[in-house]
Amino acid sequence: MTLMERMRVLSEGTKYDSCNQSAVCHAFGPDGRCIQLYKTLMTNACSGECTYCPNRCGRDALRATLSPEEIVRITWSFYRRNTIEGLFLSSGVIGDAERTAEQQLEVARLLRSQGFTGYIHIRVMPGTPKYLLEQIADCANKFGVNAETTSSVNYSEICPNFDYQSDVLQRLQWTRDLIKIKRREAGFGGRVIGANDTQFVVGALQESDREIIGTVDSFMDRYELRRPYFMSFDPVPSTPLENNDPSPLWREVRLYQTSYLLKDYGLRASDLDPVLDDNGFLFDADPKMLLASCSPEMFPVDINSAGRDALLRVPGIGPVGADRIIRSRPVSSEKELSRMGVVLARARPFIEINGKKQTNLFSFAGVGA
Amino acid sequence: MIVAFRENVEGVLLACKELIDHPDIVLISAKDRDEVKAKMEFSGPDDITLLGFRGAADTTGIVRVLFGRQAQKIFRRDPDIEGYISLVLRHRSSRPVELVRFLCSCRDNAELLYSGKGAIAKKYYDIMRDVSRSYHRLCMFARPFPVNGVLSVKVDSPHRIGDLFCRWLARKNPDLPVSVIEGDIAWIGNGGHVGLEHFAKIPSSSAGSLEFSSKIDEVDDMWDIYYDSQVIHKRRNKKHAKQLQPKESASMSRMSERDRYKVERGIVSCTLDNFIPEKEV
Ligand code: SF4
Repeated sequence: MTLMERMRVLSEGTKYDSCNQSAVCHAFGPDGRCIQLYKTLMTNACSGECTYCPNRCGRDALRATLSPEEIVRITWSFYRRNTIEGLFLSSGVIGDAERTAEQQLEVARLLRSQGFTGYIHIRVMPGTPKYLLEQIADCANKFGVNAETTSSVNYSEICPNFDYQSDVLQRLQWTRDLIKIKRREAGFGGRVIGANDTQFVVGALQESDREIIGTVDSFMDRYELRRPYFMSFDPVPSTPLENNDPSPLWREVRLYQTSYLLKDYGLRASDLDPVLDDNGFLFDADPKMLLASCSPEMFPVDINSAGRDALLRVPGIGPVGADRIIRSRPVSSEKELSRMGVVLARARPFIEINGKKQTNLFSFAGVGA
Repeated sequence: MIVAFRENVEGVLLACKELIDHPDIVLISAKDRDEVKAKMEFSGPDDITLLGFRGAADTTGIVRVLFGRQAQKIFRRDPDIEGYISLVLRHRSSRPVELVRFLCSCRDNAELLYSGKGAIAKKYYDIMRDVSRSYHRLCMFARPFPVNGVLSVKVDSPHRIGDLFCRWLARKNPDLPVSVIEGDIAWIGNGGHVGLEHFAKIPSSSAGSLEFSSKIDEVDDMWDIYYDSQVIHKRRNKKHAKQLQPKESASMSRMSERDRYKVERGIVSCTLDNFIPEKEV
């Protein structure tokens, strides 16, 4: 296989991972997702047997590998042309977690030794030894392990080669500690140290959204998780889960929305009970809007006198919008709100400006007051 | 008294300070001393104080005096006050004297700069956002390519942001000289590699003669393959993608032009092989 062909195969293997480097996006695909980083696997010839994964060993698939030098070369080429801000490096397991991490580390070291100042995010394997995590922390801006699911029992069902407690949770804890150390180290080359993050596969098992939200909430406390990522399960032919139903995409979207409520709005998992059905699954509706609609006694909120928490409860007002409103008081018109980034179509039924209601919930819902 | 200030951040801030101390002064602005001279010839000889044409001033100190200690900390997503002024000055319709008067009217209340309350505040906030957006677009979609080893790119923005972009590009590629061509000017970053100042301004006609190395670059094809590999076809969202990769991005580089085309038309999954009957393959 040529370099280009291998590059294509291995980049396709990471297309579901999101860039999230939050600096400059350089391109957007026809699906509207941004491309900030060169995302690639080192290899898709994995020795693991995760039941949902197209790269699991024994599956009949096109296998490819890029050497550390090749990855470095491609990264530089894209970086020079201003198409990316850095590298996101994941991999199938090359024999074991230790060998894989050594190879990943080599890529990061090579890049840094050549003066690369761009962003490096390394997705390490479950079970990566601590000493390698420490060395990775010296070169990478961000690194972390995927949790995939919510409990040891579930994990052993889909990832039979690893142990949830020791290979995943222990690594999440080490990562948290290393991030703290790196952030404390004065003048760490001015390098950005990203927060702990992890990914969940949604819908491969029967776990409910309540379980996922509860896990995310506890990870935020225990491992200082900033952002969880969710990947919708999509059955892959010739894998043990090939006959399962795919997870609807909207579920992934709603889970992301609830994770923002946990992280940016300070809610706890238990606050989200009203947006779950009897079986603990989310509805296909904006959870913030649902929460607001469930508590009509809290609205309308007066834009010019409400506290930050009350403003944040209003659909269409985010943390930045709430701060802008507070800074710019008195606000006298909807137009001003719109300039501050408030989504009026959503906020209108829940706010009043100087005692004047903009619309009410009934007319908003088309029921008539 | 006439005060002529330079149309840069220092000049504007010094003029603000002067205007607050002496509200009766007449302000004029100029890009350089020659322009001051030309303007003065027009209005006849008079006592004139020049601000911002010599040495560096303590701009942060002046901001603190004008807007208070907390001023730099309030604005989470917007640039700080010096950044605000720098961006506004780059806009084709900014009026430096009016800007100075507006800044003085916001004394001790920097929030007014960002609130958009009142016609002037709205005008300057919009101007600032306009330039900031153009600059970010450039950082996103401009694709420099190596010419004799110098990373070169031509920019075509209505605002004067070539130098800003050049500094950004140079910071990203400290080991290479970079050249940003803006009209008849070329901004050179990391100029030490080609025997120039670290950051230099030369006529664009001379930029092509700079030489660092002559490696051939084959990234365009590779990028196309990578770009295509990242798309999740099931999730195609043309409207959203078009907003994020706007039409103007296509004019910023050949690579962005191709990306934009794919956003518009999707990625064809059919190749020449599809036209060959199977038995012939
Ligand atoms: S370890 Fe990763 S690449 Fe390997 S089978 Fe599991 S999920 Fe797939």
